Amino acid sequence: MRVDPTRCRGHGICALMFTQGLELDQWGYGRPLDEIPEGRRSLAQAKRAERACPNQAVSFTVEN
Amino acid sequence: MSALFSDLAVPRVPRLVRFGDSEGLLLGGPPAAEGAESLDRHLARLGPAPMLSSDDILSEVRASGLQGRGGGSFPLARKLETALRSPGQPLLVVNCSESEPASRKDRAICSARPHVVLDGAAAIARALGAEEAVIHLHGSSTEVVSALRVALAERRTVSGDPLWRLSCGPGGYVAGESSAVARFVHSGVALPSFSSIPLARQGPSGRPTVVSNAETAAHVALIVRCGAARWREAGTDSCPGPQLLTVTGAVPEPGTVVELVGVATIGEVLKAAGVTSAPQAVLVGGYAGSWVQGDVAWHTDMEPSALDRLGAERGCGLLGVLPHGACGLVETARIVRYLAGESAGQCGPCVHGLPVLADGMEALARGDSVRRALRRMSRTAEALPGSGACRHPDGVVRLVASTLKVFAVDLIQHRAGTTCPESNRGPVFPLTPAANSW
Repeated sequence: MRVDPTRCRGHGICALMFTQGLELDQWGYGRPLDEIPEGRRSLAQAKRAERACPNQAVSFTVEN
Repeated sequence: MSALFSDLAVPRVPRLVRFGDSEGLLLGGPPAAEGAESLDRHLARLGPAPMLSSDDILSEVRASGLQGRGGGSFPLARKLETALRSPGQPLLVVNCSESEPASRKDRAICSARPHVVLDGAAAIARALGAEEAVIHLHGSSTEVVSALRVALAERRTVSGDPLWRLSCGPGGYVAGESSAVARFVHSGVALPSFSSIPLARQGPSGRPTVVSNAETAAHVALIVRCGAARWREAGTDSCPGPQLLTVTGAVPEPGTVVELVGVATIGEVLKAAGVTSAPQAVLVGGYAGSWVQGDVAWHTDMEPSALDRLGAERGCGLLGVLPHGACGLVETARIVRYLAGESAGQCGPCVHGLPVLADGMEALARGDSVRRALRRMSRTAEALPGSGACRHPDGVVRLVASTLKVFAVDLIQHRAGTTCPESNRGPVFPLTPAANSW
């Protein structure tokens, strides 16, 4: 997971959509967690978080 | 072998060189007061640059182990290899903008030895197969702008040069950061970008973009002329080659540029800049660097592995002298406030976090609500590293952390209400670019 800090405006929706992959810092800006669980459920939530960001700050790549 | 290195032996005794000193590799030649060295004089002194193939240049740079001198110390060969592996015509940008407020070494080398920098840039461009090389500088550094303009005009006759383009960018601390420079050259916006792809693989233009510091380019000019092995001898294994350093703060001439050939202690470097005895503390590596206690610094070698043991880095080669009697907390509070104001304002954590650190440092300097300030600062400092598009917040956190370590006793005294006798004196370190004075 990646959050582009230059785009993030702290809406916080990403962390709601993917609680196991993203968290909010003390000011409410999204940041990826160090360990992100694998699996279909994670993938679906990551996609949801990416789509939900109003500023297109969230993106992810899948590691094989 | 060119005249440049003809009498260079392995330096048993370190040499600290100022402009015009014949023992200098980068600063040798005429004194700085004579202005920019013309192409004719440059060629008369050093002879023409050897026409190496791009493979030969790359292998010399690789063998030299040259690390970028803009602050990141990233091996130049790795950048070049990444760019060569990536699709597209590579673009070279030589960053001469020197945005570190007290650093003067890039300005010095660009305005007095423009052809050494341009020879190096031409060699890097050749290694990359880049048809175009951009010389990026700070529009308001008039001496650098005019020296490079004249030098580029003189080079019309030099064969094997790339197509030169001059790019005059804005000032500002983060405007000199490599992604900001690459972006400015492409689109005129001097702001750092967030990307997980290195610039050398794909820059803002879509092409592999190598951003290299001016001093780094100058070293490449030396390496192609004398060979990697001899160049390495002028440094150490962890920092091969000679290094340009700027000494600022409590010195006779703040902004003195010194070339270190071989290994010397920080004390010897400071002596060469006119400091007579160990100061209270030394700020190593830049404004976003680390404080080191004066007597410790005085006996520490100016090379990465020795600095690393003190938690410091070479950075851009800046040494800031804090004299006895000055207050490290007051001085750092000024610097942190300045750095907070230099945020590009793009990333939330930097926008919100740096003012917290600046407020905190000012509270510590006043001895006011110290515990509360420390609590807020440590909570903020945890969230900042790695949070931005560039490393600006990381650097400020490093400075603050080293301040609390080195000036712990001062902190206790401030807290006990002992009035700090020096808190009313003027700043030791310049916070806006001062006049050139090497």
